[in-house]
Amino acid sequence: MSTTTQHAIIGASRTGAKRSFRLKMATVILVSMIAAVPFYLLILLALKHPEGGLGSIGFLPDFHLKNISEAWKSSDLGRAMLNNVIMTVGGVFLLVFLASMAGFAIARVRSSLNRIIFAILLVCMMIPGIINTVPLYTLLIRLKGINTYWSMICVMAANALPFSVFLYTSFIRAVPTSLEESAVIDGCSYFSAFWKITFPLIGPVTASVVILQGLGMWNNYAQAVFFLQDKAHRNIPLAVSLFFQQYGANWPLMAAAALIGLVPAVIMFLLFQKYFVEGITTGAIKG
Amino acid sequence: MKIETTNWHKAMAVPAFLLFSLFFLFPLIRGAGLSLTDWDGYSEPNFIGLQNFISFFSDERALGDVKTTVLFALGSAPLLNIVGLSLALLLNRSFFGRNTARALLYLPAVISPMIMGSIWYLLLQPKRGMLAVIFQNLGFEASGNWMLSGNTALMVIVLVNVWQYAGMTMIIYLAGLQAIPEEHYEASSVEGASAFQTFRYIVLPELVPSLKINIITNIIGSLSVFDVILALTDGGPGYDTESLSIYIMRMSYGNKTGYSTAVAMILFFIILIPVLLSLRFFKKVEDA
Repeated sequence: MSTTTQHAIIGASRTGAKRSFRLKMATVILVSMIAAVPFYLLILLALKHPEGGLGSIGFLPDFHLKNISEAWKSSDLGRAMLNNVIMTVGGVFLLVFLASMAGFAIARVRSSLNRIIFAILLVCMMIPGIINTVPLYTLLIRLKGINTYWSMICVMAANALPFSVFLYTSFIRAVPTSLEESAVIDGCSYFSAFWKITFPLIGPVTASVVILQGLGMWNNYAQAVFFLQDKAHRNIPLAVSLFFQQYGANWPLMAAAALIGLVPAVIMFLLFQKYFVEGITTGAIKG
Repeated sequence: MKIETTNWHKAMAVPAFLLFSLFFLFPLIRGAGLSLTDWDGYSEPNFIGLQNFISFFSDERALGDVKTTVLFALGSAPLLNIVGLSLALLLNRSFFGRNTARALLYLPAVISPMIMGSIWYLLLQPKRGMLAVIFQNLGFEASGNWMLSGNTALMVIVLVNVWQYAGMTMIIYLAGLQAIPEEHYEASSVEGASAFQTFRYIVLPELVPSLKINIITNIIGSLSVFDVILALTDGGPGYDTESLSIYIMRMSYGNKTGYSTAVAMILFFIILIPVLLSLRFFKKVEDA
């Protein structure tokens, strides 16, 4: 083979590589746009000046910020955000506290009690919350739990328990027992050895549980629509959906409410992006 | 040497189990019991045996909802995995802007499906929806009638769901791809393997754990679909896009509490069967 043909071949494969790189970048830009455009349209609509109706919508926002303030006031989303914070933080604390202890007991103490608990939780991992929501509703009426924070906190934590216990168990099994045992020899109880020594070592699992399950609690609608019926306890998804039913004609106002409703989750995601990705990954690899 | 310590740490799983029993297991078992009654939510429930389950099979709305739910899952679960895996393969190797693209694609998944569905409602409504208006402004004849027929509306719901959660499956596939050492790719290229062969023999085996988690969570999630349909079509037109979860909620509001728990039991089996089948499939794959 002459050097010129060799050069030609290398040159051809180089333009080939260049072309496939360009094709790849074009695809990346296209899919990113598909992801981003609905958000942009939402912003356009939420900031639309009433004049001219929807037909006059352009490519740049009108920056009619009055929609936002009006939607904020009439949707009571501020209250809903506060409710979301209370219920999500409460739910996540309860979940981490109970699931990590359960994972520790199941990983370290091989008793038949723990084995049965673990087996039941594993089976229930396959059951979505909607299956038992109706009987749960009748139970919560008896316990006076409708329209309370504590009932939603308990329900959401219970729904998230199987997966979280599973995650904690498999991670704690991988942590050597030697550190705990030396603490116990020094006079520590297993209970405090867990909190002082093992729990800090499994930070990534806790991060994963907080992010994945916390997000699910923040966005919960399927339980909230049953158990939170008064205005004072509504969460964000509920407040947005009710606002849509009430203001079903004023599209810019509806868009403004939806925009306000998604902002907290988006900000949290942008701030803690790295933890989101790691949290999902940790959960997925062990799951 | 004997370690002197209290024994009650052995019961550290009990508090979690108590909470779980009260707020999950007890309602589950009670629901199974109520499914055998004619309870209307107020008066004393009467035991009626399997009557609710028999009625279910002549309840055209319920059977239509089973069809809708299964069709949604058959569209959604495979598409989510195909799109998610394609995106993961596209965004695996590093290049300028990769992390921004990843973040952008994942972003919809952090938003409540109720809110996301509401947003798509504003975009997709016939005539006055944003997309219809934009098409009209650009001079296209756009009716936006896609929401007016059950079949196309269901397709739209599937696409919205895929749009929202493809980034989630992508991240999980990326985790699997990232675990493949660079040398394996190099080795396969030295051996002269085609792109397909590299995917089949180098990439795919490493993706089994990600495939498993994605497929199983997508089966459970899509068969219990709720929020996004309520927001987009409210189950309409008619009951054409109503899912079984929505039917359960509506029956429980409409004095048919006993019946709604029976439908929930049926949904439970509709979910359990494909999940157990996939678990068995993955066990075979992992053992092989």
